Amino acid sequence: MPSTAERVQRLVVENLEIDGNPISEPVDMNSSLVDLGLSSMDAVAFTRLIQTEFNIKFTPDHCGQLANLSALVEFLDSNGG
Amino acid sequence: MADDTSMVRGRSSPKPVAPNPDHWWSTLREIGSIRVIWVDLTPHGSREASAFSWLDESEQDRWRRFQHPGPRRRFALCRPALRSLLCSYLQCTNEQLAFDSTRYGKPFAVVDSEKAPVSFNVSHSGSHGLIAYAPKGRLGVDVEEQLAGRDTELLIDTVYGPTEQADLALLHGCHKTRLFYKLWTIKEALIKAVGVGFSCDVSQFEIPRALRGGTARDFVFPQVPTERWQVQYLGNREFAGAIAYEAGCEAGF
Repeated sequence: MPSTAERVQRLVVENLEIDGNPISEPVDMNSSLVDLGLSSMDAVAFTRLIQTEFNIKFTPDHCGQLANLSALVEFLDSNGG
Repeated sequence: MADDTSMVRGRSSPKPVAPNPDHWWSTLREIGSIRVIWVDLTPHGSREASAFSWLDESEQDRWRRFQHPGPRRRFALCRPALRSLLCSYLQCTNEQLAFDSTRYGKPFAVVDSEKAPVSFNVSHSGSHGLIAYAPKGRLGVDVEEQLAGRDTELLIDTVYGPTEQADLALLHGCHKTRLFYKLWTIKEALIKAVGVGFSCDVSQFEIPRALRGGTARDFVFPQVPTERWQVQYLGNREFAGAIAYEAGCEAGF
């Protein structure tokens, strides 16, 4: 069973692009979505992917409040994702 | 350099300094006292080098944290354009100007540690940036490069209401893409104007057809009927874009 961090990394790598270029592995888990350069549209789409993958209520507002991808992993682990 | 000294308010010295006489922005639209500026964010090495020196230390740190060249370039070119425009408007130096943000992340200008008398908002996407500013009042702006290949289906039921979804379902190809981006930019401009960003569920309000078509400009959030907003679509063949502002903002109240 992949860890939460691995599942988040997979979602990022398989679904997100910056200027048409995929985000390559390894993803720095200390990066925020802003550091990655995601647009608001990407962030909303990513939020939706997180909801589906982890079957959890997760909003763009949650996304904005989390400092980086590691914080997202902690949030998902502590909220039953 | 923005050189519209007729819009200067109060401060008399020192003179603002431009990052580069060959500036890369121009006025897209004037709506009363609101100015909307288009910023050229296409790759340009010498502009980026010149612009970087205009960033303060925290902005240079932010620039370094960007992991991809596109977002780094957009920030490097757009923030100095904003700095130049605001320095000219506020009659301050680049060193006097700083930025802070609200709890929802909406930035505001600070001059000599005091909140500056200007409202502004910034958006960038691909090769295009938009900056809107006015003496007072809440305003928001959004620009999106229209990508035909983008999978928008995931987003449609997340951000659009029933009428909007039904209208999108009737369209295909470039017509669907255009409406998708038009609705998106209008909604994002509105929530940026309010200052709450995506903490607000944008599927809970819809953009009326008359407003999308440009035959109306008034907008009222059903949840807050006492506040009146104005919306203008700014898009062209290259990008979708919109500005939303508090009614009265264009007249300086």
